[in-house]
Amino acid sequence: MRTKVEFIRAETINQALQLLADNNKNTRILAGGTDIITGMRMKSKRFANIDLLLDINSINDLKGIRLLEDSVTIGSNVTFSEILENKIIQDKLPLLIQSASGIGNLQIRNRATVVGNFVNNAPCADSVPALLVYNAKLRIESLKGAREIALQDFLVKAYKTQIAPDELVTDIQIPLANDFCGTFYKLGRRQSVAISRISLAVLAKLSNHKIDEIRIASGAVTPIGKRFDDLEEFAIGKNAGKELFIELAQKMAQQILDVTGLRWSGFHKIPVLQQALYQLLLTTIEL
Amino acid sequence: MKNIEFTLNGFPMLVYVDPSLRLLDVLRNTLGLTGTKEGCDIGECGACTVLLNGKAVNSCLVLIGQVENQNVLTVEGLSSHGSLHPLQQKFLEYGAVQCGFCTPGMLLSAYALLQENPHPSEDEIKDAIAGNLCRCTGYKPIIDAITAYSR
Repeated sequence: MRTKVEFIRAETINQALQLLADNNKNTRILAGGTDIITGMRMKSKRFANIDLLLDINSINDLKGIRLLEDSVTIGSNVTFSEILENKIIQDKLPLLIQSASGIGNLQIRNRATVVGNFVNNAPCADSVPALLVYNAKLRIESLKGAREIALQDFLVKAYKTQIAPDELVTDIQIPLANDFCGTFYKLGRRQSVAISRISLAVLAKLSNHKIDEIRIASGAVTPIGKRFDDLEEFAIGKNAGKELFIELAQKMAQQILDVTGLRWSGFHKIPVLQQALYQLLLTTIEL
Repeated sequence: MKNIEFTLNGFPMLVYVDPSLRLLDVLRNTLGLTGTKEGCDIGECGACTVLLNGKAVNSCLVLIGQVENQNVLTVEGLSSHGSLHPLQQKFLEYGAVQCGFCTPGMLLSAYALLQENPHPSEDEIKDAIAGNLCRCTGYKPIIDAITAYSR
């Protein structure tokens, strides 16, 4: 039998924070609900013993996408469909468009939020590699105050983040990367409604055919979406060319093997991964 | 339990239910509107698709408390005065209905698309119904029916 779950729709951030601060209740924030509602139905342990579902969809201050001088902020109510239709995101954050377009299906994208995608922190969360290479930061509020944290630091391990039970992610801030070029890549078992098997994002800045800065992130092949700091450092100042790209692809595969160990799927996944990163670098950086 | 008001198929509706029930369950069990089907239960098959403020959503992933003061359209709201909507007529004409289980969801996904984009391309149609599984037709008659309606 389903145990009784209370449902409250918060109208303001403050009301939501008040409810979250109540230690006597196991409260879970409900945004798109595409993970929570299915998780509860499937009796997933991650969603067991919830006393209160706190719906934040009516909080106006969490809606909207804003272009500031050097960043874009996205409220925690914003759905993937709103991301895809938004002119600012289309112009300024193409990798977020590329990653959002492959998520679930239209019905899912009409509900699921980009913030929910990384607060849930599934290994295969498609928007995470894109947000990681954009150096996304989050703003988190509680009754005790507000804090900012880089997405990279916020993600701890699969389905686990730095968020405390009394906290609410209010928005993401994404610094503009106007002089960078980039691409997102997803491999699923079919074209739509597919869970990623491999996802990669690359953002690069060049001068005189040399790498000024490069940012590389993966999803699904690593326990959570992650950046490859060593590879990024290694590439700085090197000539952008096939030789470097092959080396980066090999190094990345080795790092992933070091993290995950050789799994049954590794025999086909590792060569595919190397090829995928190599091709992605070729597409991103026109030689 | 709570009183929840919303607009259903163009009419004001008031239900007294547990707000954590799924919209799907309230439609089918409380209101007896069984046109909306329950398929996979996890947001993959699209059989339970309804329109929420004009957008296609899976009613198995929406709680009734979340639709308070919102606008819901189910397949029952497509027909008027006992006659089928022209889009439904096209589904019949083109053999887009076999077992019929996916049909209500398919109709609503197509209807949402056509409201925003009256003349969609084949790829746009495919994208709009990618979240609606059909195991009978092979999709072609469905795409043909939607295309025919849009002409």
